[in-house]
Parts: sequence; C-alpha cells; structure tokens
Amino acid sequence: MRLDIAYRLHFAYAEPVSESQNEIRVRPRDDLRQQVLSYRLTTTPATRVLQTRDYFGTTVDHLGMRASHDDLLVVAEASVETTPTDSAPAPASCERLGDQQFVNEHVEYLAPSQHVQWGELVNEVASWAVRGAADDVCERVQAVVQAVPTVLTYERGSTTIGVTLEELIDGGRGVCQDFAHLAVGMLRCIGIPARYVSGYLFALDETRLDEGPGESAPAAGDGAPGSGAGADGNSHGLVGEDVFTPERAPAASPAAISVQTHAWIEAAVPGYGWHALDPTNGGSVSERHVVIGYGRDYNDVPPVRGVFNGSADAKVDAEVIIAQPTAPVSMVTEPIRRQARVAVSPSTDTSAQQQAAQQQQ
Amino acid sequence: MAELQRSDADQLAYDEAFDRDGNVRPLYAAIVERFSNFDAAELRRREGIIEEEFRRQGITFTVYGDSQGTERTWPMDLFPRLIAATEWQEIERGLAQRVTALNRFLADIYTGEGAAMADGVVPAWLVQSSDGFERNAFGVSVPHDAHCVIAGIDLVRDAEGQYRVLEDNLRNPSGISYVIENRAAMTRAFPRVWEDHTVEPVSQYGRMLRTALESVAPTGAGDKPLIVILTPGIYNSAYFEHAFLAREMGVELVEGPDLVVDEHVVYLRTIEGLVPVDVIYRRIDDTFLDPVSFRPDSTLGVPGLLGAMRAGTVTVCNAVGNGVADDKAIHPYVTDLIRYYLGEEPILPNVETYVMWEPDQREAAFERLDELVIKPVGESGGYGIVIGRNATDEELANARAEIEADPRNWVVQEVVELSTLASMCDDVLEPRHLDLRPFVITGERTQVFPGGLTRVAMRKGSLIVNSSQGGGSKDTWVLAPQGETQAAT
Repeated sequence: MRLDIAYRLHFAYAEPVSESQNEIRVRPRDDLRQQVLSYRLTTTPATRVLQTRDYFGTTVDHLGMRASHDDLLVVAEASVETTPTDSAPAPASCERLGDQQFVNEHVEYLAPSQHVQWGELVNEVASWAVRGAADDVCERVQAVVQAVPTVLTYERGSTTIGVTLEELIDGGRGVCQDFAHLAVGMLRCIGIPARYVSGYLFALDETRLDEGPGESAPAAGDGAPGSGAGADGNSHGLVGEDVFTPERAPAASPAAISVQTHAWIEAAVPGYGWHALDPTNGGSVSERHVVIGYGRDYNDVPPVRGVFNGSADAKVDAEVIIAQPTAPVSMVTEPIRRQARVAVSPSTDTSAQQQAAQQQQ
Repeated sequence: MAELQRSDADQLAYDEAFDRDGNVRPLYAAIVERFSNFDAAELRRREGIIEEEFRRQGITFTVYGDSQGTERTWPMDLFPRLIAATEWQEIERGLAQRVTALNRFLADIYTGEGAAMADGVVPAWLVQSSDGFERNAFGVSVPHDAHCVIAGIDLVRDAEGQYRVLEDNLRNPSGISYVIENRAAMTRAFPRVWEDHTVEPVSQYGRMLRTALESVAPTGAGDKPLIVILTPGIYNSAYFEHAFLAREMGVELVEGPDLVVDEHVVYLRTIEGLVPVDVIYRRIDDTFLDPVSFRPDSTLGVPGLLGAMRAGTVTVCNAVGNGVADDKAIHPYVTDLIRYYLGEEPILPNVETYVMWEPDQREAAFERLDELVIKPVGESGGYGIVIGRNATDEELANARAEIEADPRNWVVQEVVELSTLASMCDDVLEPRHLDLRPFVITGERTQVFPGGLTRVAMRKGSLIVNSSQGGGSKDTWVLAPQGETQAAT
C-alpha cells in the first residue's frame, strides 16, 4: 500500500526564545516490510538539518535555531510502500524462551528499561492474562495484548510520560504509548522479549477516533485484573496520534518537550522472530501501520525531543496527515489534529547537586 | 632518630622497602638512610611544611556527606614511593598495551563491526547489558580511535611483588593534579633529598595532555585547535583539578552555559563574540552532556552537543560510552582482548577474577568462597564487597544466594595482599598498604605519564586507599635509567 505522510510540527512560543535544539525521529524505516520512496524534512525559518542513524537504525534529524524566534515549523514528508504482514508465527513451546542463546540474543528486550519497570502488580496482571493459555509463546503474546485493553481504557491526555506501569494499572486509563508500555512490561515479566514500536497509523474512514470523554470508564480502584474498562475498552476503533506530554525540565531554561505519534509493540517468538501487535487497536498490525523505528521503550524512539532557551510557554501543534494517493478521495482520512501546551516544571535536582553528582573516578 | 619499623616477618603482603628478612632493599637504601637521620620532631616539622604548602595553594579534595565542611587539605605522606627504571619500563609497556587494546575495543563497539563480540571474545549480551554501554555513542568516531584520551589504571602488587591490574578507569579518571602538586610539596619539604637520586620529572604533564588533545581535533580544525575543559562547576569534588589542568595547559575552563551550538558547530561565548570550539575535555558524566539526547533535566551540558559530535565538528574527550570498557564485568575479559586485537601476550596480569555467569567458574568459586572477594559489578567505592575470610557462614550463604539470583551482577576475585611501604603514623614510620594509579595518555600514540598517584591506607591493616575514606597519597618517583641525569622538578 502506498502511503503519503506529512508530519507537521509547529512550535509557537508566547515570547521569543533562542537556542532551540531538537532531535526528530519521524522518517519511516526501510525494511523488508516497507520501502521509503521519498523523504524530505524542511524547517521555517530555514536551518541546516543533520541526518544521522541511531543505534536502533532509526533515522534522526538534528536541527537547531540559535537566533531568537517565536515560531518554528518543521515539516517532514514521506512516501512509503508497505506490504501486508506475514502469516502468524508457528506455535513455539514456552520452554524455548529459557534457551540460553535466545535469552542472550534478546537481553536488551528482556530487562527493565526506563519506562518499563515492573513489580508485583504487573506480575500479577501478566499471569492473570495468560492463565489457561496453552504452552505456546504466540498464544501467550496474543493473550497479553488482548488483556491490555481490559486493564486500560483509552483516554486522550490521561497520562504523562513519567507514569509507571503500576500507576497505569491503578489509574486504568492511558494512551497508545501506555498500552504499548504495559504490554511490553507484561511480556518481559513472563520472559518474552518485547520492544516498543513508534510509527504512523493510516486510519481508514470506517474507523473513528476517540473524541468523546464519555467513553472513558472511570479508573479501576484497585487495579485488579478485569476491573475497569472491561470489554468496552476494545471498542474505540483505531486510535491515531495523540498525546503531547511535557518531560521534566530544569527550572531555569532550557525547557524540554516531546510529541508523540502512534505506538505498538513487537514480541520475539522463538523460531520466528519479531511479531508485531497493536495493543491499542485490538491486536493486529497491518499494511496500514508504518514503522518509524523501535527501541526498549518510548525513550529510545521519541518523535521529537528538544530544549529551548527562554522562559516562554510553548504551544506545540503536531499534525499528521496520511493519505493513500491511489485511493478514491472519499478514502482519504481527515487530518488527525492535536494540540497541547508545554508545561515547564521545575527540576528536582539543583545545579549544585548535579555538579556534585558528576563521578570523578 | 625516627623509628623506621620494618614490616612484620609474618606479614603476607610484599613490602616495597624491606625484604622478608627485614633487610632494606637496594632500591630504598639511600632514602631509608636519609630518613633514619631525621628525628621525630624534624619529620613533624617537614610534615608541617607539606601541609602548609597544600593549604596555602588551596589544594583540597571534597568529602561528600561530611558535616564538618566538605573541603579537606590534600593528605600527602612524606615518605616517597620509588620505582626502579627497569621495573617502570615493564609497567609502561604493559599499560600502553592494555589501553591500546581498550581503545580498540571501544572503537570496535561504537564505530566498528563488533568483531570481538562476533568472534566470541566478549559475549555481546554482556556488552548490551552494561550500564556504561551508551547507545547514543553509536557512529560517533574519534580521531585515531582515541576513545580514551586519559585513562587511570589502578595497579596493586601481590604477595610476590607482581603488579596486577585491579581496575581500569576510562571515563573521568582524576588525580593527576595531585601527582604534580605532591612533587612540588616534596621538593619544598626535602630540598636535598634529590641529591641521592635521579628522578623522572612530572612537570611535562600539561604539555603532554595538550598535545594529545590537539591531536584528536577534527580534521577541519586547523593548526591551533581551540581546546576547553568543561567542568560541572565549583561544587564538584574534583573542581580543583579542573582549574589546575586548565592552567597547566593554558586553555579555557568553561561550564555548559559558556558553550552554544549553532548549526552543529560548538562555539565558546566570548566578549569578542562566538569562537568555534574544536576539542572539549569534559569532566561531566555522559548522561549530563546534552539535555536533548540524554537527561532532559541536565543543567550542566550543552544542548545540541551530540549532534555536533555526530557532524564531526568537535571532539569530546573522553569519548561517550567508555563505561562499557571499565565495567567490572568486562575487566576479566581485557587480557583476552589484548591477545585478540594485538596478537600479544598481556604484560600486566589482571587480579584473578571469576565471572559468575560461567557455570564452571561459578561452581569453582562456590567451593572456596571463604577465601575469595565477592564484588557487585554496579557499585564503586568498596560498597557491597564481601571479603570471604572475614565473613560469617550466614553472610557467605547470602552472597551465594544473591549471585545465583543475578549472576550478571557479581564477580569474584582472588584476595590480593596489597603491598606495604613505610608511612608516617604518630611519629613512627610504619608499613601501610598502598596501590598505584598511573595515567595513560592517548592521542596519535599512547604514552604513559611517569609514576602516577600512589594512594595509601593510613589505618593499620586497612586496604581502603580512597582519599574520601581517610586514605593518603605519596610522591611517586620513577628513577631515571642509570647513566642519564634529569632534573627532578
């Protein structure tokens, strides 16, 4: 499927700021499943963009604006050809998860990571999710992915990036990246390697976006498995780009920002490889999912991270327009448009504490 | 006459100055003779000169968590440590060999093919699970593959007097300023002590380091690259050293906000405007370097620095991600890395170390845990270490259970009886345990700075040499080869 993607990022500051520096990860990945036909990133005002590739193979556009500015527009345009996903993996006995070579090869995706830390509660939810599942890794992965929407109800803006898995379960609400993080954590804690995928979702017109606050169920009080949203949690249809979440920023400028797109997961199945699933949208990943990149969690592949110098509030519009050029006009989706405000929150460490903490060996 | 105590006949450790029969070793004959002629009052007087020298110059170090005020005058013991020319040549060759291999390893990981992992010399999973493995360092190449421009390698001498490597420090090793200041204080307190010896000078360090830093400047930098030292600031324990090195090298001492990135070039803000920076010798941790790519709350770094590094317009020393190579879990593999990359036998052996993720080594270690030292790989400064022979059965059982639960997090080492040397304790020169941290500088080539920092545990029997825990230091003399004469400054 040929898809044209326009990712438009607009920073608008209440007062002029300077020395804005950003890393952008929005270029679709080239792999066996998808081929990037063209990619172009432009900024207004114009600045020199440095393109590199990171450890995970994701393309990074580095760009900065030293001069004072109150407005910065970044537009990335990509055309990509996707192919349908492979057939489902063959059954694999869970015993094979313990194979030392398999464990060693996936060590990065089995260990806790910054946003995927688990304790008793996640363990409990994970074992509840796979109760009664056969001795088959694929079936367990499927069971976990399907359990996530029964624990979490999709609600835009309900969480921020620092939220822990335990808090998520307690709160019972989240956005796509929370669904992905929880699924990754549940899989890892039962010994199945899992990674976080960032990308775009081409939402066809028969799908609808979750706009109404009325749909979100109240948080599950004790976070017990099965409570909370229930089966209704699965009924939101496809959910696209969503939340904007401010990261912790120092009290003094520069402020830190981040914006997100869609997120899903991949689990490693012995004898097969990485198997992609979308916990937010009922499980399956199709040719309408366009991969930007993957990592241990969100922090390895955020669409935007950056700082700027100045005390101004920043308003960031992130807008993704995905179109299928060969489809009839009626098939073209409405732009998925979101807005959010940047909050600048004080750092917990003082500069003196940070200075003292620098290790001199 | 000051009393100069010989080491006890039943002492297990090697004594630097006296042999097992209590006879002074030829290397130390002259210095022992000279010190024997000072009485206790005279030694105290000279000790006072040393202390005054450090106090006057404000040469201090910081003790964290001390309510008495965190700054202390640098403690230097007045009895020097001597290393014979031939002995030093061997150490020098061993250190250069080791650091060359470690630099090759870092280049292999971050900008190479990962050959050592592919060929099974070091397990890939061990590298990937190291805290010091920095994914942001991928693809950032360093001129001459000098990932580690300044290394501090901790050596100890075992009961036979063999030098062994206890630890590699490849991120921000500190202490070189004290080497130079110790020599200056020694000269002031004992102006005539040099009459009997020809000692390799230490004053060339600033020049040596500056040359190395200039040699790793990016290709476009020109003949006179601009070098800066990036310090976290005055609250850091080693701030004195940062300022000292800036002065010795004649370069700017800067903090993060003094630098700014524009279109992937780093500039220094000056009253004349922005000046492009070519080399940054940084003394802040990797994760604070750039709030865009690392910790967003860092107030110490330079936004956009990683992009500039990737663009190749600036060199940051030591390179990002060196912590993977000085991980305690990687240390046991370094001798094999020397064989692998250089095709040579290691000149300096490691302290014998067993890795707990290899079932054979683990079982062998479990047989005799009560004779060994158990170390958690993620801790430093001696925390969490269990000394087998001092531990109760219960402590050993606990350690064993912890190792079984998480073998990646533990290594087990043979006990090393650190060598001893006479040190001034309450008017008596008594043997105390010590180690040696030489500094290895890599630019176009790898060189070893003569001597290094000798650290001494001032408490009797103690093996803890860290200055933050009451350790002292000694001026360390590398004697010039016979027949040559050099000024001892």
